[in-house]
Amino acid sequence: MAINGTQIKDVVIKPDAPNSLILDKHADYIAAYGSKKDDYEYTLSEYLRMSGIYWGLTVMDLMGQLDRMNQEEIIDFIKSCQHDCGGISASTGHDPHLLYTLSAVQILTLYDRVKAIDVDKVVDYVGGLQQEDGSFAGDKWGEIDTRFSFCAVATLALLGRLDAVDVGKAVEFVLSCMNFDGGFGCRPGSESHAGQIYCCTGFLSITGQLHQVNADLLGWWLCERQLPSGGLNGRPEKLPDVCYSWWVLAALKIIGRIHWIDKAKLRAFILACQDEETGGFADRPGDMPALLKALWIRDMTGTVPGNQLLKEGFGYCPSQ
Amino acid sequence: MSSWSFTTCLVWKALGGLGMETERGQGPPANVEKMPVICPEIKIPTERALHKNLQAACRDEIGLIQCPEARYNRSPIVLVENKLGVESWCVKFLLPYVHNKLLLYRQRKQWQDREVLVDITCTLLLLNPDFTTAWNVRKELLQHGVLNPEKDLYLGKLALTKYPKSPETWIHRRWVLQRLHRECCPSPSAQKEQRGQAEAWANGNGPGHGERLQRALHEELRVCADAASRYPSNYNAWSHRIWVLQHMSQGSVKVLHDELSSTRLWVSMHVSDHSGFHYRQFLLKALLGELGQAHNRSQTESLHPPLDPRPAAQSNGEAGACEAGLTDDPHADTIPQLFREEMELCTDLIESYPGHETLWCHRRHVFYLWDRWQKLSQGTGSLSPAVTDSNALLSEVRDPCDELQASRAMDIDCVQDGSKHGGYTQDTKRLKRGPVSPWPGLLSEHAFISQVLGTRSTPEQGRFARAYRKWLDSVIARIGVKPKQSELNAKRQYPKFSRTQDSSVSFRTGAAFGTVRYRASDVTVAMWEESLSQTDRQRRKMVEAGGAGGPLHY
Repeated sequence: MAINGTQIKDVVIKPDAPNSLILDKHADYIAAYGSKKDDYEYTLSEYLRMSGIYWGLTVMDLMGQLDRMNQEEIIDFIKSCQHDCGGISASTGHDPHLLYTLSAVQILTLYDRVKAIDVDKVVDYVGGLQQEDGSFAGDKWGEIDTRFSFCAVATLALLGRLDAVDVGKAVEFVLSCMNFDGGFGCRPGSESHAGQIYCCTGFLSITGQLHQVNADLLGWWLCERQLPSGGLNGRPEKLPDVCYSWWVLAALKIIGRIHWIDKAKLRAFILACQDEETGGFADRPGDMPALLKALWIRDMTGTVPGNQLLKEGFGYCPSQ
Repeated sequence: MSSWSFTTCLVWKALGGLGMETERGQGPPANVEKMPVICPEIKIPTERALHKNLQAACRDEIGLIQCPEARYNRSPIVLVENKLGVESWCVKFLLPYVHNKLLLYRQRKQWQDREVLVDITCTLLLLNPDFTTAWNVRKELLQHGVLNPEKDLYLGKLALTKYPKSPETWIHRRWVLQRLHRECCPSPSAQKEQRGQAEAWANGNGPGHGERLQRALHEELRVCADAASRYPSNYNAWSHRIWVLQHMSQGSVKVLHDELSSTRLWVSMHVSDHSGFHYRQFLLKALLGELGQAHNRSQTESLHPPLDPRPAAQSNGEAGACEAGLTDDPHADTIPQLFREEMELCTDLIESYPGHETLWCHRRHVFYLWDRWQKLSQGTGSLSPAVTDSNALLSEVRDPCDELQASRAMDIDCVQDGSKHGGYTQDTKRLKRGPVSPWPGLLSEHAFISQVLGTRSTPEQGRFARAYRKWLDSVIARIGVKPKQSELNAKRQYPKFSRTQDSSVSFRTGAAFGTVRYRASDVTVAMWEESLSQTDRQRRKMVEAGGAGGPLHY
């Protein structure tokens, strides 16, 4: 009888793994991404293009190289993605969705050009997605997920329009997704997941309800995500993934328990995920780099004393 | 024309119409069936017969055949014993081609017939199932009656064989299933509105509808099981399975029991699958709720579907489920038995497969549910029906000695006497034992931990055992059942947000290092800092108990 249950799911960091930040390589990696617009992989990821742009821009900004990106082209692109309903899509011709509406507003906020789009319509779109029970659908088709609760309040907070939704009901729905371990899932009764936890703690932060979180219990669950290699996973017995370094670390920061993680070991893990040839980060040492992972260097900021990059997040971070 | 023959057309159009015909030259083994290449302009009568055969046959799996170049002069579409393969070399041409076709349609730059859209979206989603817009086009086709729900669910099932996690595929399935329900129950009635949507699934609204929905339910459970086996700890598959039970099973105790039975062997063979074990936690919780509600339903005829995920019903969270499980009817014995069996399963697996965090997490959760149900059934502390999980976790810290005292009072007297057997008789035990068996309890759990630590198992097993002990001491022993009224009042005060006149976000770039500081509106920042301070004040006692380094020092 085959048993699937290998022990200690973790990676081993090789002695020759990168141990310093190769910023220039990462900047080049992002600046070059998308230069071949006919590329098969580019097409594959088009369905989340808006979020990809946001992540890339934020990293470039952190590295002080935002000016290498074409601001006007990006803003025109965003304008082309706003639909009549007010919602914004991931790319031209795609359908609108709350995820990409948030990413678009974040990009415009970064450039201080929020007024490039019809803000009132965005607010109407987001407000219209709130359900009777306080939850938010992702789009007109009605999928409910706590990620969308975060997207909604983050978008509205950035636009100064939290008045457009019933915050109390929204909070009650998110709290109904709190589990016995202090974590949160995507819907009531769902398994705790680091990504969902990030969204829910971010949501509660934005809505001023962090006292509803049992910070010690949740902090405990979160810091149990750290493995011997120093990397963080998203749930028990999953492999470490550099993206979870962000979700978990950001959640710990929000609830004030970031000191419960071994900083040095995490730093070593993240640095080892770099690809010294192409730039970018892989999800774990030795894997292929991916654009999404390149953003996760930002989680080093604030956890690496002496590092020249600083960021203070107040919960306005990517939803994926 | 079947979707797959159309896909072949698309392949060759994408390649510029090389016009290659049937296979020639050296090729794969004879049992590999090739789809002849056709172009839409050429109507080959024999193709129709072939396409009918292809439509009639069931495809149960798709995959990419690693083939970096077009080495053989034949179609890249391969069919072997109902497994449909696409040679990888053609995908990089095919995907952008069909992708652009769909977007041109979506932007109203190029009209496509509905039948063509079915095929384009089929091809696209089998190559890139997270392409949300393509699923949305299919939703519209369903609304116009061009597609039927079962056919669309079949496409998703096929996509999941290759992409078992695909979130957009699962999301689309939930929409289709809700649509299927509406198709089977088109006219809402007062009775259905009272019972809620979940129960309407089983009733249907016409001959055969109930059967159709039941088939859909069982098919969904099979799809979930298949996807769970294809990818370890498949969060999306298991959370979909939970959704299916919440929305399609009408709170059926039989379905819950069947699921508990059918997943028992599976989790025993996948001891690292945290999602699989979480599903069993969900089932136990749901059974607690349903068995309790069964008593209430018979008494009052009013229905409270505990599986209803709406917050009004869910606000009691796991505590509510435990409360609902309290009953004097025969089901009361079922609950302790369920928990015993689950704890025994957990014990067996922990002992058989040392060092698996998932198993210890499962034990935590199952014991938590059992502990709360026990406390409620014994009436220790007055439990407000409004107690939620969050209330329980925020409530005052109880002296752990009180908990041990309470459990000792329930335990057999041999412990109190300090001797192994204490000289008690079976009658004495029966008299001293309360209405509910105390096992498992805090003491028995600590005994189990000591036993595990004494076996000198793997270092990881020891680590998890010590973590469990610390969790029992820090969490279970300290959770009170009665939150302070002040805390209950406090949580109901939600902030009022007003529209900010000035720019709510300012952006500041550090000169030298490109530092970025995102500032929310001052109101939001102040509230965040205040709420965090509140959290710190309330939890300082536990922080000190846990040590500056956090709770991981065990």
